Amino acid sequence: MSAVQLAPEAPGAPVTVAATGFRLAARRFRGNTLAVIGLAVIVVIVLFCFVGPLLYPTDQTHTLLEQANQGPSAAHWLGTDAVGHDVLGRLMYGGKVSLMVGIAAGVLATVVGTLWGSVAGYVGGWVDALMMRVVDAGIAIPALFILLVISAITTPGVAGLILILGLVSWLVPSRLIRAETLTLKNRDYVLTLRAIGGSHARAIGKHLLPNSVSTIVVAATFQVADAILLVAYVSYLGLGVQPPATDWGGMLSAGLTAAYSGRWWLIVPPGLAVILIVCAFNAVGDGLRDAFDVRGR
Amino acid sequence: MTTALYLTRRVLQALAVILIVTIVVFCLLHALPGGPARGVLGVSATPAQITAFNQAQGLDQALPVQYLRFLGRLLTGDLGTSYTLNEPVSQLIAERLPKTLVLTGISAVLGLVVAIPVGMLQAARRNGAVDYAATALAFVFYSTPAFFLGLVLIIVFSQQLPWLPSQAPSGNTLAEVFQDPAGLVLPVVTGALAMIAVFSRYMRASTLENLQEDYVRTARAGGASTMTILRRHVFRNSLTPVVAMLGYYLPVLFGGALVTEQLFNYPGMGLLFWNAAQSSDYPTLLGCVLVISIATVIGTLLADVAQSLIDPRVKASRA
Amino acid sequence: MTTEPILRTSDLGVSFSTESGTVSAVRGVSLTVAPGETLALVGESGSGKSTVALAAMGLLSGNATATGSAEVAGHQVVGASEPSLRALRGSTVSMVFQEPATALDPLTRVGAQIAEVIRNHRTVTAAQAATEAVDLLRRVGIPSPEQRARSFPFQLSGGQRQRVVIAMAIANSPKLLIADEPTTALDVTVQAEILELLRKLAVDTGTGVLLVTHNMGVVADFADRVAVMLQGEIVENGGVEDVLLRPEHEYTKRLLAAVPRLDVAGDRPAAPVGAGSADAAAGRPGAAPVVDLRAVSVTFGRGARAVHALQGIDIAVHAGETVGLVGESGSGKSTAARVALGLIKPTSGTVSLFGQDLRSAKGRDRRALRSGIGVVLQDPVASLDARMSVAECIAEPLAVHRRGMSSADRRRRIDEVLDAVRLPRTLASRAPRELSGGQRQRVSLARALVLEPRLLVADEPTSALDVSVQETVLEVLGELQDDLGFACLFVSHDLAVVQHFAERVVVMRQGVVEEQGTTGTTLLHPTTDYTRRLLAAVPVPDPVLQRQRRTERLASLAAVTA
Repeated sequence: MSAVQLAPEAPGAPVTVAATGFRLAARRFRGNTLAVIGLAVIVVIVLFCFVGPLLYPTDQTHTLLEQANQGPSAAHWLGTDAVGHDVLGRLMYGGKVSLMVGIAAGVLATVVGTLWGSVAGYVGGWVDALMMRVVDAGIAIPALFILLVISAITTPGVAGLILILGLVSWLVPSRLIRAETLTLKNRDYVLTLRAIGGSHARAIGKHLLPNSVSTIVVAATFQVADAILLVAYVSYLGLGVQPPATDWGGMLSAGLTAAYSGRWWLIVPPGLAVILIVCAFNAVGDGLRDAFDVRGR
Repeated sequence: MTTALYLTRRVLQALAVILIVTIVVFCLLHALPGGPARGVLGVSATPAQITAFNQAQGLDQALPVQYLRFLGRLLTGDLGTSYTLNEPVSQLIAERLPKTLVLTGISAVLGLVVAIPVGMLQAARRNGAVDYAATALAFVFYSTPAFFLGLVLIIVFSQQLPWLPSQAPSGNTLAEVFQDPAGLVLPVVTGALAMIAVFSRYMRASTLENLQEDYVRTARAGGASTMTILRRHVFRNSLTPVVAMLGYYLPVLFGGALVTEQLFNYPGMGLLFWNAAQSSDYPTLLGCVLVISIATVIGTLLADVAQSLIDPRVKASRA
Repeated sequence: MTTEPILRTSDLGVSFSTESGTVSAVRGVSLTVAPGETLALVGESGSGKSTVALAAMGLLSGNATATGSAEVAGHQVVGASEPSLRALRGSTVSMVFQEPATALDPLTRVGAQIAEVIRNHRTVTAAQAATEAVDLLRRVGIPSPEQRARSFPFQLSGGQRQRVVIAMAIANSPKLLIADEPTTALDVTVQAEILELLRKLAVDTGTGVLLVTHNMGVVADFADRVAVMLQGEIVENGGVEDVLLRPEHEYTKRLLAAVPRLDVAGDRPAAPVGAGSADAAAGRPGAAPVVDLRAVSVTFGRGARAVHALQGIDIAVHAGETVGLVGESGSGKSTAARVALGLIKPTSGTVSLFGQDLRSAKGRDRRALRSGIGVVLQDPVASLDARMSVAECIAEPLAVHRRGMSSADRRRRIDEVLDAVRLPRTLASRAPRELSGGQRQRVSLARALVLEPRLLVADEPTSALDVSVQETVLEVLGELQDDLGFACLFVSHDLAVVQHFAERVVVMRQGVVEEQGTTGTTLLHPTTDYTRRLLAAVPVPDPVLQRQRRTERLASLAAVTA
């Protein structure tokens, strides 16, 4: 550099940039105890549900009435249910469904929401207004109610369940992504690109989407948490997978009356499992949001 | 923008949203087995009656025309007749809605009264013991399904410690509901806990953001203490996004926490809907959805109007 | 008569603990402010001047540690307890901050906010405090103070909001007033008014003032003594005339040399930086203009709320010449630049780029036209996408217009432009985050030049940079223009910069062109009152000259109102 700089900017001066470096974000995440615990919990539960049955195989399809309604014992660590299934094994078995449906629905909701929100935010004008009125309408309709109506019409399989849950939940992320798009589209580097003749496609593909990644990832994490909770509600109401398949919500529903008569092992494990996994995803989402310095939920 | 112009704009937006809701419900109505004829005539209608109805109502006509007739019926308050209870749906809803509003309304008030100060306190004493404890609790209650929470509360407070009844007051009028306040406690607490979990987090985040604002520094430079600043300035500024979040809560307010009503056997909108779902009572199902959605939209509109009256910036600027 | 200094710091030090370790922001600062005296604390970004000001109020952030001593009216501030600091703040010592837009609570009326400061320290009834607040508003020069007291901050202009903040600061007759860049965010005419107000208040009440600023003109206008800070330490301290006219320290000399000086009528005019093209401008008028705005109007919104950003303006830039577009906030200068760039469509009028009407050109033709433009915008942070490397940022125009270029050619071109803007080639693989503001603006410039544009549109390209960095960037820009011969539309609010850089100047005011002409004539012998007032309000870094200008300016203002 030939020109002498009289005073370089102070070394520790905080530089506010549009995106935090990945390494810095990872460091911040690691410093957030709650988030790290959450991540560990998720890993443990996933292993539990998918690897567990290999280590602790149980029969979850046939009715075995001779071992029904037993309390926790050495043979059945969490006891058995009304038709004789081992509860611990059922917890793993049901967990697979809860997790798969929850994660898939959460991701689907985020993808749809991102597309909707970014188009609305970028195009603006009456298109944006119309798209957002649709979102308003969707939010006004209570999700659980719509799910009940749909289930009264058809009984969805796992794929159908994922689709329906995803389609009911995409509304909130769409608003978040729209807000993010509105902010980004007026950034100087986008304006510069447009001024020199860059296309809309390039602005979106090269600038808007990569810079929204952190918001999208945070939104996706919270969506998965919400979806797993929603699956539990849906199954509890009897609309999820049909027996003998089950998930944690279904286990809670099946064990409801029994719980009143003291057979706590039928509801406490699935209940705690739901709380634990949803908590974990929320903690991770919170941690990611702080690490990336993203606003909004 | 003058208030009149702003209001007109918001009302038009709300109408557009309501229209979209009616379209969604109309589509669902036509996806039902048996179609709308059943919805109006009831489950005991004979095939002959249905055919006559279809012809008379012009159900063989184009969908847009049918939709307009549907809208017309809605405007006169005709939501069809319940299959199972054989009463007009609008009457059923009129009976049940006030009871739901009582339950969820009290939960909401209780929840906010606790959540807002707790959130602010957490922000003021960030990363302190209270903050961590409250955050952990919020996470737990946030992630607990309402039916599980309610179940645990019933088992603990109704069975193990026979302090409170496990069933909510049943009864057809509001007066009867209030005669048994003890029965309201558990369902209200179930709803309130979830609300506290959500709204304390929002209040905390909003207060933290506002504490970074320049006007806080100006007030400190004028000699005010942190508590005074929180009370006089930050509180009002932090409320705005929280009030906006209440909009998402409105469907719950009107629809009743479905599972809570079912668990506690409380005769509100939620239980009505649940029973209708069990017996495939489509007119009731769709009538409820419609009423709740429209009530939500109107509620959001009123909230926006209220905010524009309170916040002078909203009044003066574009929505 | 010896009087105790109202502010005395001895060996004051402040360090911050950040994510990347402990940073020492201030070291060994010892200075005094006597009652009734104004001390200016001058420095560029990172000098630590604002930190010293905040330390004197005990308003440092939680991660800061202060050492040494800072006494305000005899009370020790370093390490003092919060209650004792609260007793001082707003009564013995007050502060005025930089950003009037965000300094006030948006949901409380301004009168109430002033009354609050009063009642923080004195037991008076609400009614009494309210009356005093109105009096204070009158003292700071706000018209109709009774009505204004009931306004919300968003209903006031930036200058009025700053007056409210000043009213809050003087409410309890402080002995020391600290002003941290109080006029940096304001237009130059408003700045002159606010400085005048501060000076009058200080003189009336004998208040000591600690003025923190980077603007040497403001220093010359206001201060009695000056302390110059560099990287956390004081390098020079003395009377304002000594420091500004006879600087001793190397840094002070370089700083003063880098400040663009507004030449005023009567002075020998300095040669403009783009001197080469000045001669060529004389033989230019015949050629078609590179960009031509004719009768352009731009209106945002509708009906009663419509904002007429531009009203029938005519601006043309010819090949190879630099046109400076100046004006205060709301003048429409940025809007005009964006119209020239095609980012905003005019409501009426025509825009031609390189001789072709922008609206009639379609698709590929339009893109081809735009490849002849280079753009440099104001914010060094937002002008580069933080997710791309410097090389990718610079190569973006190539990716848009020269898809067929081989990567070797592209690489070569990137190196060429980096050399042209005097940045090392190794910077190409870095991320924008690792560069300083000045380096980022030069990368922006490199990106603008990569397609060899015929027109460069620069919207306040150096306004966010330190004055020394600004000098480098402008030098580079001037040299490049000499070498490459592109036309330049340069938008700025800084008249001194425009005077040195542009051959022609267009003065705008509220969407209309006030006057235009060659820089030499228009800025030295303006024809309109507005331009004259604008020039008179710009402070020059020569205290003797500035005093004279101030007297003249006040006299002419009095003549107008008389």
